[in-house]
Amino acid sequence: MLTDVFTLTQPEKEKRLRDELTALVAHHRRACPPYARILDALGARDDAAALADLPWLPVRLFKTRALVSVPEDQVIRVLTSSGTTGEVSRIHLDREAAATQSRMLARTLATVLGPRRLPMLVVDRAGVVGDRRSYSARGAGALGMVNFGRDHLWLLDADDRPDIDALRTFLDRHGGEPFLIFGFTFMVWTYLYEVARAHGLDLSQGILVHSGGWKKLADRAVDNAEFRRRLGADTGLTRIHNFYGMVEQIGTVFLEGPEGGSLYCPDFADVIIRDPVTWREAPVGTPGLIEVLSTLPTSYPGHVLLTEDLGVVHGVDDGHWPGKRFSVLGRLPRAEARGCSDTYQGGTA
Amino acid sequence: MTVRMRFPAGGTVPVADLLAPDEAEPLTVGDPRVVDFLAGVSGRLLAPALARRHPELGSLGFFLRRRELLRAVERLRGTLAPDTLAFPRGRVFHVPPANVDTIFVYSWALSALAGNANVVRVSPRSAAAADAVLEVLNAGLAEADPVVARTQLMVTYGHDDAVTARLSAACDLRVIWGGDRAVQDLRRHPLAPAARDLTFPDRSSFAVLSVSGWAAASPHRRREVAIAFANDAYWFDQAACASPRTVFLVGPAEPAERVRAEFVALLDAAVRERGWDVDAAMAVEKRVGAYGLAADGGVRRMEFHRNALATLELTDVAATPRHWLGAGTFPFVTVPDLAELVPFVRRRDQTLTHFGFARDDLVELARRLGGRGVDRIVPFGAALTFAPVWDGHDLLREFVRLVTVTD
Repeated sequence: MLTDVFTLTQPEKEKRLRDELTALVAHHRRACPPYARILDALGARDDAAALADLPWLPVRLFKTRALVSVPEDQVIRVLTSSGTTGEVSRIHLDREAAATQSRMLARTLATVLGPRRLPMLVVDRAGVVGDRRSYSARGAGALGMVNFGRDHLWLLDADDRPDIDALRTFLDRHGGEPFLIFGFTFMVWTYLYEVARAHGLDLSQGILVHSGGWKKLADRAVDNAEFRRRLGADTGLTRIHNFYGMVEQIGTVFLEGPEGGSLYCPDFADVIIRDPVTWREAPVGTPGLIEVLSTLPTSYPGHVLLTEDLGVVHGVDDGHWPGKRFSVLGRLPRAEARGCSDTYQGGTA
Repeated sequence: MTVRMRFPAGGTVPVADLLAPDEAEPLTVGDPRVVDFLAGVSGRLLAPALARRHPELGSLGFFLRRRELLRAVERLRGTLAPDTLAFPRGRVFHVPPANVDTIFVYSWALSALAGNANVVRVSPRSAAAADAVLEVLNAGLAEADPVVARTQLMVTYGHDDAVTARLSAACDLRVIWGGDRAVQDLRRHPLAPAARDLTFPDRSSFAVLSVSGWAAASPHRRREVAIAFANDAYWFDQAACASPRTVFLVGPAEPAERVRAEFVALLDAAVRERGWDVDAAMAVEKRVGAYGLAADGGVRRMEFHRNALATLELTDVAATPRHWLGAGTFPFVTVPDLAELVPFVRRRDQTLTHFGFARDDLVELARRLGGRGVDRIVPFGAALTFAPVWDGHDLLREFVRLVTVTD
């Protein structure tokens, strides 16, 4: 599998990222006054001996504060995350950041999709893309991804029912050569896997790229291994790549290797697992909170973020691609306090 | 349109059943049948086994002792002119918060003591202590006069607007706890023209620590003070309306630095000793809160000593936050004297816990504030002690109707 973004060994990457991210810290400190005030209050220095020493922001801060590092008139796009509690992240992109993120996403995915656009099956309905100015997480995922395919089939109708006839037609036409399948993990399972199995459809030429987590599948006892095993056994689909990414670090995806089970970091990104008590980097094999680092965020200070996801590093420079191999284990529950007020929202007085 | 009966415990009943008139022997203010019942409840709450499991029920038990109840009624009568008679308001609908397990009992008990018929909405999200209280109340019914079970009702229902609307329309007084959002939410449902709301909106609370008072205190006393403050702050995750958040150090700047360092060290020790900690989710919440405040400006320094304890040095009083920053997050500001707080205080400020001041200084501060904000000024350790005067309201007085007879 040819790749130009999964190339650096961990020592090479750390050296390069440390320099680039240190420069980004200084850049955002100059360009984003709220970010500078946070770092000043922390007493953070401009230089870091190691990646783990770089100051991080809690990712939810993008839901409670506007953090932008470019003048307002240079912002060409504001991405918003979906939020179950009504809070949304607002991510500001200027022309350069927008171009870089889509270019680097393309290069990352080309590793598993190849250089050409493939026929594409989207396990979603066409309506999710909707308004291009206000992307929902589902829409943004689909919209970002649709550019990597051609002759798209949106599998679900307006009522979220899979269109079996259209799927048969798509497979008759494209199923004999590599084609791209994209969808959210639980939707792929619910709407594609179960339908394909029931109708005996052949997905063996497909390359599945999926994301979204396992929570909704947990009650069906489907984890990553089971997902891969059953898709392979029942539909012939074996080229399966889970990915982990977030709107707050748009363009950066941590991609599952062809062997399955581990996510890898592209050359311009890395993860650090932090012990949530000591906040120090956790050793390989020890779960903790996932910190994501990426050189792509230049128009907003999202270069070093502490997520609310739990993960574990399985190994370093010992897998299909170089660098760290890790898994996402789930989400930290939202903190709930006792108190007189029934609702708490950070940042609202 | 049905509700689940929690007190008297029972099945699901139509809302209309809650509103059936009770003609037989209406309750009076300080009715002995209610006093007997509440005093019995007090005894059960103070039973050692229960108090060990739910320490907050102990304070409730003390609050409901016969002597306290009679004193409250006497105090009410003492405030009335000779030509004034007090009677129950009628039917009171209580909507307490989900997160403080025992507020509903305080609110209800005083209203029952005033002789009202009560309907209390117990949140379906209520926690273990609430269930324990309900168990105690139900256990007390066997010995109680039947009027108690007929007129005092506690129910649980989900977010059913129709039920809320019906109960709102049928009550003489609606008591809304749970903050601004709960108040706004409930206010969508009209009351009868003569009825009114008693509301408990979002509040914020602070602590004041005298630098010279600290210097004058013995090492033993300082430890006690830190423990008392830890109780105030950590008991409800620093999220109760009366929980102190920002600490104002009052005195000259230079010794204030040393006082802060010593106070934080003793607070840390007190929290450790109690074994209080916060989980990873709360630790992240605290970062979101503190970093957000720093982003807004006014934070000179923030320090995360460990997950249970974070401190922030603010540049001035104006930077003081009024929103929750997560359990165990303490902004500090140094001011030369108490008067500095006067322009800062607002209507939503509720409790000021204090250490090291003379009574005259505190009374003087209250006078200068002129009731514009801060309803309670209480010593460290007493922040969460519920009192019959709360949020500026004399509750028992709110729960009665006055009739004057002039000859």
